[in-house]
Amino acid sequence: METIFLMNSLWVMVGAVLVILMMGGFILLETGSTRMKNAGHIAGKTILTFGISSIIFWAVGYGLIFGEGNPLIGLSDFFYSGYDVEGLALSGSVFFLFQLAFAGISLTIAFGGFAERAKLGAYLVFAVLFSVIVYPPIAHWIWGGGWLAEHGKQDFAGSTVVHLTGAMAAFAATLILKPRIGKYNKDGSANNLAGHNQVFTALSVLILWVGWFGFNAGSTVSVDGAFFGFVAMNTNLAAGAGVIAAMIISWIVMGKADVPMMLNGALAGLVAITASCAFVDTWAAVLIGFISGILVFYSIRFFEKKGIDDPIAALSVHGTAGIWGTLSTGFFATPELATIGEPGLFYGGGLHQLGVQALGVVSSGAFAFIVSFILLTIMKAVMNGLRVTEEEEIIGLDMSEHGSYGYPEMVKAEKTAISSEPKLKF
Amino acid sequence: MNNYLEIRRFRDDQIIWVSRNHFQLNQLHDEIITSVITLSIQQIAERYGPIPCPFTFFMMGSAGRFEQSLWSDQDHGIIYQKQGTEINEYFLALGKEISKGLQIAGYVYCEGGVMASNPLWCKSISQWRQQLDNWLLDSSWELIRQLLIFIDGRSLYGDASFLESLKMEVYHTIHKENLLKKLLSNTLHLKKGIGILGQILVETHGHHSGSLNIKEKALFPYVNAIRLLAIKENIFETSTLSRLEKLPEFELSTIKRKLYTQQFLKLLNIRLSLAKPDNYENSHYISIVSLSKKQKEEVKEILKNGAALYRYVRNLVEKEDI
Repeated sequence: METIFLMNSLWVMVGAVLVILMMGGFILLETGSTRMKNAGHIAGKTILTFGISSIIFWAVGYGLIFGEGNPLIGLSDFFYSGYDVEGLALSGSVFFLFQLAFAGISLTIAFGGFAERAKLGAYLVFAVLFSVIVYPPIAHWIWGGGWLAEHGKQDFAGSTVVHLTGAMAAFAATLILKPRIGKYNKDGSANNLAGHNQVFTALSVLILWVGWFGFNAGSTVSVDGAFFGFVAMNTNLAAGAGVIAAMIISWIVMGKADVPMMLNGALAGLVAITASCAFVDTWAAVLIGFISGILVFYSIRFFEKKGIDDPIAALSVHGTAGIWGTLSTGFFATPELATIGEPGLFYGGGLHQLGVQALGVVSSGAFAFIVSFILLTIMKAVMNGLRVTEEEEIIGLDMSEHGSYGYPEMVKAEKTAISSEPKLKF
Repeated sequence: MNNYLEIRRFRDDQIIWVSRNHFQLNQLHDEIITSVITLSIQQIAERYGPIPCPFTFFMMGSAGRFEQSLWSDQDHGIIYQKQGTEINEYFLALGKEISKGLQIAGYVYCEGGVMASNPLWCKSISQWRQQLDNWLLDSSWELIRQLLIFIDGRSLYGDASFLESLKMEVYHTIHKENLLKKLLSNTLHLKKGIGILGQILVETHGHHSGSLNIKEKALFPYVNAIRLLAIKENIFETSTLSRLEKLPEFELSTIKRKLYTQQFLKLLNIRLSLAKPDNYENSHYISIVSLSKKQKEEVKEILKNGAALYRYVRNLVEKEDI
């Protein structure tokens, strides 16, 4: 066996492990950003739905994406058994595992829109449907030799395929599920249902940040020329710029360096650079990350104002930043790095690549949103509603869906606690 | 007036007429509170006999500073001359009766328990002396905060000299022990009311989204800063305006004094004219979108000047040699 084949396999295996570990990041992100009465449920269902997604990906997902078929869908290689693929310079099973991890991440992002109010059953059914009907077509279009790939769409590691797809499903879910109890007042003003643990949220960002080296740098799927180093460097720069930008903008506009906002800034930088990390120069990576940190700030405020309750900011972090990241190569892709498609607007490529990117965003985003919306509407009718009852929502999904609290002592203590702090009299 | 409900009705009838005039409004509050006290004294005398010794009932918080809005919670205490178990119990009963009466008359209970119904705020003069010494010497954050509340005390009924002599001793100790910086650090946290782009920083969540918390962001800086200067200069007045008036030139130049007086007056008027008057909680907020351009500029000026005054006082106190 050739050394390069083995090294490629080893590197992508490392990438797959890192991406699967990002699930841990999402568990901390989602639980940290929500209330403690739902923590056990959120943590547990993340593992459960990754399990479902894995099995579905093996049975049909992989074949629908990478199988032989037409520009719209793949139609072979179902129940993949680990054989090597012709023309692929790494182990087929390693490649499979790497792709499986991406499908799992996209589903987890979609479930951000379900947080704190959807029935467990809704998670189970949608996990199957999303993994068959929503994710594979888009992944096939862009990565599986489908019609967008033929157009030269640049989406290196999945700003569109993984993040925008997940975010659009989350968007459909949050519209159908409606806001959580207590999120909005009668006059339309929003309350801050603060997450219960900012340390979890910060740790989640660190885990995701590191995991992203697998996500982006691993997407080179080869060690050739050690190009993964450059991709990882761009990834890190964008995350750094994102966190700084979000801190600055929240400080300017709100007068304080908001912690959840800074953390979302880092994630937005990572999401945005996912499409462009292999196609742009380092200075552009910094700029792309910086702009996404600002976009995510305004996007979160926009959705909240519009009455769309997005507990973990999935729409803004993965949707808005995903769109921006995909479009960014249309501006910044350099002639040397644009191995797929054309150089961007700022490198004499004109509007061509920007148009291709926009077409990709619109078609993929619209497909993910419309199909998810239809699926969830049917599920709602068939399953007698997607949402837990009011009483269940108030006692928490830990209790209603699983029968025990993630923090038994804490939730009890919270119920009896009386807050009293000394105030200066006015 | 024969019962508290009658006082409440009197309040409801009268308050509309003075609701736009800060001074008349606060006089009315004084009048209402005094009638509650008078009635409570009668009630207690009927139950437990006549008052055993001279005492004073004093208001703190916004009432102490003669700066109440339409609504305020009750903050008050009692100092009495003699002590003894029965006397203590007598005045505590009086404190409870007044507190109950004020509640009926439209003044919500103080969440922090700063009320004469609480033994902490209802004591003989010698017990008070001891307690204040403890507060000063211990000088923990919480006790200093209580001390600052006490310093805004204003006698409303009975022998005002009890309160004055205690305050004099407190001021004396503060200067002797160099505690001014300690007092400063207790109220050092300033909630920003204005962003670096000069925009007003409003609430982003909850029922008051889009509104400015005028109490914390506009009133606090003025009140806290001027209280510190008043302590520094041994001024016994409690209202921010009269404290300002008494400040000597070397502490605050006439020009600045005039500016801050005018700004604070404007603030009091804006609060009365713009804050939603329906209850205690709402009366601390003004909706920014409903302001005219001119009003918005005025609010910004007030916020900027409040922050500047606070910085000035902070520098002044921090420069003091220990």
